[in-house]
Amino acid sequence: MKAKTVLVSAAVGVGLGALLLPGAALAETIVSPATTPVGGTVVLTATTCNPKSGDAIFRVTGPNRDINVRSTTAAAGGGLSAELFTAGFTLGTYTVTATCGDGSAAGSATFTVTPIGGAPAGAGDGTDGTGSLAAGATLLGTALGGALILARRRRHPAGAAA
Amino acid sequence: MWWRRQAPAVVAVALLGTAGLGLIASGLTAAPTRPPRPDAADAPVTARPAPSLPPLPRADPVRVEVPAIGVRAEVVPVAADAAGVLEVPPLDRPALAGWYSPGVSPGETGNAVLVGHVDSPTGPAVFFDLGRLRRGDTVRVTRADAGVATFTVDGVAAYPKDRFPAELVYGPNPVAGLRLVTCGGRFDERSGDYVDNVVVFATRTG
Repeated sequence: MKAKTVLVSAAVGVGLGALLLPGAALAETIVSPATTPVGGTVVLTATTCNPKSGDAIFRVTGPNRDINVRSTTAAAGGGLSAELFTAGFTLGTYTVTATCGDGSAAGSATFTVTPIGGAPAGAGDGTDGTGSLAAGATLLGTALGGALILARRRRHPAGAAA
Repeated sequence: MWWRRQAPAVVAVALLGTAGLGLIASGLTAAPTRPPRPDAADAPVTARPAPSLPPLPRADPVRVEVPAIGVRAEVVPVAADAAGVLEVPPLDRPALAGWYSPGVSPGETGNAVLVGHVDSPTGPAVFFDLGRLRRGDTVRVTRADAGVATFTVDGVAAYPKDRFPAELVYGPNPVAGLRLVTCGGRFDERSGDYVDNVVVFATRTG
């Protein structure tokens, strides 16, 4: 009975702790969208940073980048945001680690810079008879021209001889 | 008398005419070879529950085999051109497949991407029959470390190129996935390109 009471108390304590420490549980950084074609813009948001504590710093690391981006706006849903333009970025996956103005860590996230659009992976099968049609029309035209000349020569043999 | 003098010319004209008619007839009957469209029943669904396979370390893929459609192709690395568009192997080598090397390699955690031509001016190319694959078909990728990663197809679908599913193809995946990409749909003579991309979605199963 005593053990049961202790277990229940512990469970209630853990539940209350989770409720009372949402900041610690939900500290996160969001990158939206998580995939962008090179040259696109992504929005970095540190959801738990308090704007009153100063700007958040987003450290972006990846294939050819190790840069710090300072937050520029307060996010609509809370926290701080910055826009990141990916022109010139090497294709690949980047990690964003955020630090709030008060120095506290605000989590990390990744985003992927991809090629633009789909894959140009076809040239059209050229074996569709177009070439045969063109060559056939040329030969037939030549034959008709020759037949006309022959017919004229037959009608006017003297003129043809002259 | 006239016939004798003109006989060679008459024969030449007759031969030209016959050959021309023959070529026109063959041109009219030769239908363009168009790639198969994916079956709607094989549209991608949620990836199969992946077996508990440990991810493989990074290693370049060197060969891809798709037994269901008779593909056995050498693989070369590709990336993107200066405009940011995905590169494909050169058109004069249509039997090659390309591996998107900025991404993960086949067998690593994430989506590895292989791209290949559907056709070339000389006829069907390496991934011509990709749209014929069905859920459950197998894709085997031989890696430079001599390992072989085996994938099972989860689905096949065609997407307009202006709505290419970049997130599904290049985006994150908690398991080792594989994406095979080629062209499909209608060939637009004006742009010299197909209007769709066909994408095969697969998950590593061995």
